[in-house]
Amino acid sequence: MAPKPKIRELLQESACSHNKSRSGACNAPKPGATTGGCAFEGAQITLFPFADAAHLVHGPITCLGASWETRLTGTSWPGRDLTQMGFTTGISTNDVVFGGEEKLRSAIDHIVHHYAPEAVFVYSTCVTAMIGDDIDSVCRKATEAHGLPVVPVHAPGFVGSKNLGSRLAGEAVLSQLIGTREPEKQTPFDINLIGEYNVTGDMWQYTPLLEELGIRLLSTLSGDGRVASIRTAHRARLNVLVCAKSLVSLPRQMQERYGIPFISVSFYGKRDTSASILAIAEALGDAELVQRARALIAREETLLEQKLEPYRKIFQGKKAVLNTGGNKSWSIASALQDLGLEVVATSVKKATEEDRYKARQYLGEQGVLMTEPGQEQARIIDQTGADLLLAGGRSLFTAIKKRIAFVDVNQEKKKSYGAYLGLLNLAEDLNNALHNPVFKNVARRAPWEK
Amino acid sequence: MGEVIRRIDKPLQVNPFRLSQPMGAALAFLGIDGCMPLMHGGMGCTSFTKVFLTRHFCEPIAIQTTAVTDVTAVLDGGDGSIVEAVKNITAKVTPSLIGLHSTGLTETKGDDLRGIASQIDYPMVYVHSPDYEGGLESGWGKTTCALIEQLVAPCQQGRRNKVVLLPHVSLTPIEVEKLKEFIAGFGFEVQALPDLSTSLDGHLGEKQSALSSGGITVEAIRELADAGLILSVGDSMRLSAEALLKKNATLCHRHFPHLQGLEATDQLAACLLEFSHRELPPAGVIRWRKRLQDTLLDCHFALGQTRVLLVGEPDFLSGAAQLLREAGSQIRLVLSSVDSPQLDRLTADTVLVGDLEEAEKRQQDFDLVVGNFHTEALARRFGKGLVLRGFPNWEVVGNQLRNDQLYEGGSAFLCEVANAAERSRHGH
Repeated sequence: MAPKPKIRELLQESACSHNKSRSGACNAPKPGATTGGCAFEGAQITLFPFADAAHLVHGPITCLGASWETRLTGTSWPGRDLTQMGFTTGISTNDVVFGGEEKLRSAIDHIVHHYAPEAVFVYSTCVTAMIGDDIDSVCRKATEAHGLPVVPVHAPGFVGSKNLGSRLAGEAVLSQLIGTREPEKQTPFDINLIGEYNVTGDMWQYTPLLEELGIRLLSTLSGDGRVASIRTAHRARLNVLVCAKSLVSLPRQMQERYGIPFISVSFYGKRDTSASILAIAEALGDAELVQRARALIAREETLLEQKLEPYRKIFQGKKAVLNTGGNKSWSIASALQDLGLEVVATSVKKATEEDRYKARQYLGEQGVLMTEPGQEQARIIDQTGADLLLAGGRSLFTAIKKRIAFVDVNQEKKKSYGAYLGLLNLAEDLNNALHNPVFKNVARRAPWEK
Repeated sequence: MGEVIRRIDKPLQVNPFRLSQPMGAALAFLGIDGCMPLMHGGMGCTSFTKVFLTRHFCEPIAIQTTAVTDVTAVLDGGDGSIVEAVKNITAKVTPSLIGLHSTGLTETKGDDLRGIASQIDYPMVYVHSPDYEGGLESGWGKTTCALIEQLVAPCQQGRRNKVVLLPHVSLTPIEVEKLKEFIAGFGFEVQALPDLSTSLDGHLGEKQSALSSGGITVEAIRELADAGLILSVGDSMRLSAEALLKKNATLCHRHFPHLQGLEATDQLAACLLEFSHRELPPAGVIRWRKRLQDTLLDCHFALGQTRVLLVGEPDFLSGAAQLLREAGSQIRLVLSSVDSPQLDRLTADTVLVGDLEEAEKRQQDFDLVVGNFHTEALARRFGKGLVLRGFPNWEVVGNQLRNDQLYEGGSAFLCEVANAAERSRHGH
């Protein structure tokens, strides 16, 4: 089991803005009125992108059976992409009665023998936590026997939300991997990317630009990640936390332990991408680097503007309503504004205090911050004469009823909308949606309807 | 008949395709109109299931969780979280039924579902579905059984022209509809339990519902015993048929392991002719039988030289194997998610209960794979032909509209497999 004081500490993360204003922000889920994933899923999201490590789920079939091969996290790892494989002890009634430690031990042996991973992450789950399997001991012995890190991850689903699970995964990496190896070389511009999972290759939209500036990715947690690199992460000059608030504990603790400063950035849209590149350069504290960064930003923005030119005319005067969660409530809004659309409303239902603040900054005083988007969005579309609704599939019917174009915001899980080039993908998809007659066609009345 | 390997000595599953019992239970409840499936477990069990089914059907999925935490797992006997969940659900919506089903977590702590359900004053059916045993089929089958045992009113006599269809979990919404129409064509009134054909068939509804929209009504379930004939399809549905027989001893029961291919469809047609006292089926059925005969001949050359790997749930495997065998396919390897009596009946060289790692080990034995989304990487890795079937099938739209059953669906399936086999032989 995860130690209780640790969980409490993670729930009251001091670097988390909502913990300053409200207490119990990450409180227990409400039976019968809860959506969203569990701590195990959070841990999985955070660590699975390590494609050179095997991810062994010690639990019944539900935990892995419904969740493997679900996220398109790109990797350049030349070996077999273990992220897209599923390993589970798939415990049975027998294991529940007699314990699953022996099975777990043999499962680790099987994986090391057949797949030669760089490390094995072992995830506890609700059932194996309940039956009290000593996963730490099994992992410790396996580490010695095989001479590679076998890392226990204590984030059984029932301890809390996805966010908490991500933090617990960060804890596992901090306590078991970071600082266990020295890098072959060091540069003054070594950074760690934290909370970037490279879904649909998002990070590859901007990492070549950082490299061009001479900024070196020492390690990532965990997009296109390598176990060998994350072990050296304590030697970085800067931690860069990308969009994901869930991992904020880790850079804060690394700052305390290793004196590494951290900054929080976003690579959605032109302005945020430029601001982030500049912020990284500035945080590394080299005047020449900052100058190079400014030049690169100017070059990239000019290039992008040229490519966006044809879209500008199309998007001019178009109004969009955005209904999504978390940091997307402002980051996508920012990207839409970069394309020349007016964002008349955004949902802040699932956003943190800081997200709400940023959303207000981007939308201005006129913009509507929707707290109950399900009820509000139809009315706002009418009032503002919006042309486009960006939301999850649940809102599709609102768009059809209002006869306006619809964009599924979850498309980004299939296609990168990140950084400068991703903005072009977004522009193309918005353009296609605005010109697609399907929403009006579907709204046709049947001949027998009055 | 080849060898059947029911148990591999292996401490883990690598690239598993076995799915969980609670997921099967939830899906069965989604075949009931206005139902709210309530999974008793951690919120992750429900979230994974919801996302899984949403992606498979491209439809919003109604389901709620009792959101058991580490604290309530120890301190609560289950009643606290279930009572609160029911309160919170009914504060917002009014389900016709709440479908309470357990998970490994709550079975490990040993919650008394029956006791709790009896204390709650709301229409509710409960089912024990731990995910450390069984699978998708058994979760679906157990739930159907529970629905019958807990809802159906006992009856002394039945109406001869009413048929109860009990379809297994791998039948798509449109397949259930096709079976219902086929049976109705012989003059019967048909009720299917569960009935996904009107709930998850991918229809555009007027409004986003928080409950299942479509399916058999609770009222119709209560009156199921008032029938003349039960048709169970798939071995996982045998127990449900037996449960219904207990409600009305005068009912007749015919069991079909599957309804794919010429022979099985002939058997169903013969059965329906017998019970309807008719000489001939509808003209359309006669026509489709001829088309299937022709398709079998058209496909036999391509399929006769194709060595097939079948992956999936036992009731699905049984039908697909039979249909492909009728056209001469060589069924080299069958991988089943769980054990089942179906496995002994399969005409295949090797039948194995296992994971996709076993398929990799034996990849030289087959040219074409029929299986779920997870077999795509396998097929690509080894350059095999691929026909996607089963749960999950995430990257493909139209899963709910696909029909492989009876004369008509059999023709479509054979053509699809034959074309895929030819394409892969020519390296596309």
